[in-house]
This record gives sequence, structure tokens and C-alpha cells, in this order.
Amino acid sequence: MNFLIASFFILLTIIAFIFAKWLYQRVYTPLLLPLTVATVIIIVFLLIFNIDFDTYMIGGDLISELLGPAVVALAYPLYQQRDRLKQLLMPLIIGSFIGSIVGIASGLLLTKWFGFSDELIYSITSKSVTTPVAVEITEDLGGIISLAAVFVMVAGIGGAMMSNYIYRIFQLDTPIGKGVGIGAASHGIGTAKALENSELEGSFSSIAMILSAIFVSFLMPFMIALFM
Amino acid sequence: MKRFILIVLHIGILYLFSMLGTWLKEILNLSVPGSVIGMLLLFVLLMTNIIKVEWVEAGAQFFVSNLVFFFIPATVGIIDYFDLFKGKGILLILIALISTILVMTTSGLTSQFLAKNKEGVKE
Repeated sequence: MNFLIASFFILLTIIAFIFAKWLYQRVYTPLLLPLTVATVIIIVFLLIFNIDFDTYMIGGDLISELLGPAVVALAYPLYQQRDRLKQLLMPLIIGSFIGSIVGIASGLLLTKWFGFSDELIYSITSKSVTTPVAVEITEDLGGIISLAAVFVMVAGIGGAMMSNYIYRIFQLDTPIGKGVGIGAASHGIGTAKALENSELEGSFSSIAMILSAIFVSFLMPFMIALFM
Repeated sequence: MKRFILIVLHIGILYLFSMLGTWLKEILNLSVPGSVIGMLLLFVLLMTNIIKVEWVEAGAQFFVSNLVFFFIPATVGIIDYFDLFKGKGILLILIALISTILVMTTSGLTSQFLAKNKEGVKE
């Protein structure tokens, strides 16, 4: 029985994903990101048929199990960008590093000032890194992984929508400045946005996204010890 | 069909790296996710040519182009936390946005400043 339930929910997730991707190709807007659309489809389905999340996760867990190797796979695009990485090593590393510190510090301090619980604080601080890494960091810290995934989306979609105004106000006018900014702040969603501007900007963004994921993983425990 | 087998094999290798990373995390008592350790390890082995890129390419491409699929279940979990965003929780969204703006400006301006006069930065 469990096997059937698992297969059903995996299939549902695949169908929702394929439909969301199809829709995104036709109606392009950051609000219709495949992740958002697929998530809404599944949530609506679960609510209509009164299925609880734990039941969905009988299948969902098997998909989440592959988040580990999916993170490992990010070594591949980083390797492909190795020439650009070598050429601009210090600007890319230092920029992403500063962004990682600012992201964790602002997340921790703002939530602390407003008096949110530790569990919520630990769920928001990894929001600027790509979801699979944010989920793993949050799990390690004892935060709520589903909330972490939502804040990652907020950072991604929000960053992509605000980026053009931010570039103008703060005079980010080079591909490396824009690319690192959006990659460090808005991970994969930001990288997709950067790719629309130019391939160069997109590759800086993807490098910044991966470097930030690494830096945030390493910095998080120290910064929590420092601020909490 | 050959492509499919290749993808499955490569995913197996990536999975091994993820397990190796998790194992290293535990024995070395690190507070970094095992998968991130696995990624760094694979990157170093690719750069040093110990692992040939052809051994992981098909699986890695599959993951990178369908990355979003693998975190749908985690996002669906929000279904249990709708109530949070009714009250004070809405502030969390605002905090996430403010923090995002701060990250974008500081990281972008730093890289832009340091890269001045280097190649590959002009539009």
C-alpha cells in the first residue's frame, strides 16, 4: 500500500512540475516560477482531497532524498566556469563572502530584534542560498525546513523583481557587479534572471550562487555563536 | 536508453559523494551539510583531473536542469505553516526582502569595485 501511495505522490509531483515548466515557457513572469506553480498545484490538490502533509511525504521523502546528490552536482557548473573563476577569483570570492556575512547577520539580527523564536530565526537565516543547501543547513540547525524553503523563494522572487531598481539606485552597472549581487542574494532564481540579460552576467551569478552556498554553510555556526 | 543508464550511473556516483560528505561531516564533527562537503570534494577532484568530467556529466546535467523538481516537497510543507503568516509572521517576509537587498548591494558593489580594470567586466 505504501508503495502505491508513494508512487502516486511522486507521479503527482512530476506532473505538477512538467505542467509548471510548460506554463512558464508560454507565460513568462517571475510570479509564475515553476517552483511556485508546482507547489500551489500540489497544495491545492492536498487541500481539496483533505490529504495531510505526512501522507504526501510518503512519496515526497523519496524525492527529497535526492537533494544531497543534487547539491553535489553543482560542482559541475562550477567546474565548467573554471576559467572565469580563475580570472576573477578574488572579486568573486570576496564579493560572495561579504554578501554571505551580510545575509546571515541581517537575517539573525532583524529577526532577533523583533523577538522571533529561535526556530523561526534558524529558518530564515539561510534564505539567500539555493534551496537544497538551505534545507540542509536549516535541518542541521533545528529550524523548520519548509519555512526555510519559503524564505528562499521570497529572497529569490523578491530579489529578481527588485533587481533592476537596485542596480539603478546603487549604480551596479557591470556584469560582474549585477551577476554577483543577484547570485549571492537570489541564488538560482536570480541566476535565471541574470541569464536574460547576458550569458556573462548569468555565469557570474551562478558562480556567486555556489560560492555563497559554500560560505553560508561554513559561516552559519560561527555567526550564530557570535550573535545569538 | 544508453543515455538513461548513463544518467542513473552518474547519479549513483553523485550520491556516493553526498554519502561520503555526510560521513566526513560526522567523523570530523563539522557543522557544514554533508552534501556541500561532497560538492567541494568533487570540484577539487574534477580540477585535479582525478575524476574525469565524463564520469558525472550526464547525471550532473540532469540535476542542474531539473533542480527545482527536487525541492518541491520541501516547499509544499508550507501547508502546515499558513497560520504563521497571518499575524506578526508577515514581518518575516519583510525582513527576508530587506536582507536580500542588503546582500545584493554589498556583494555586487564589492565585486564590481575589486574587478575594476580587469578583463571581462565591460558590457
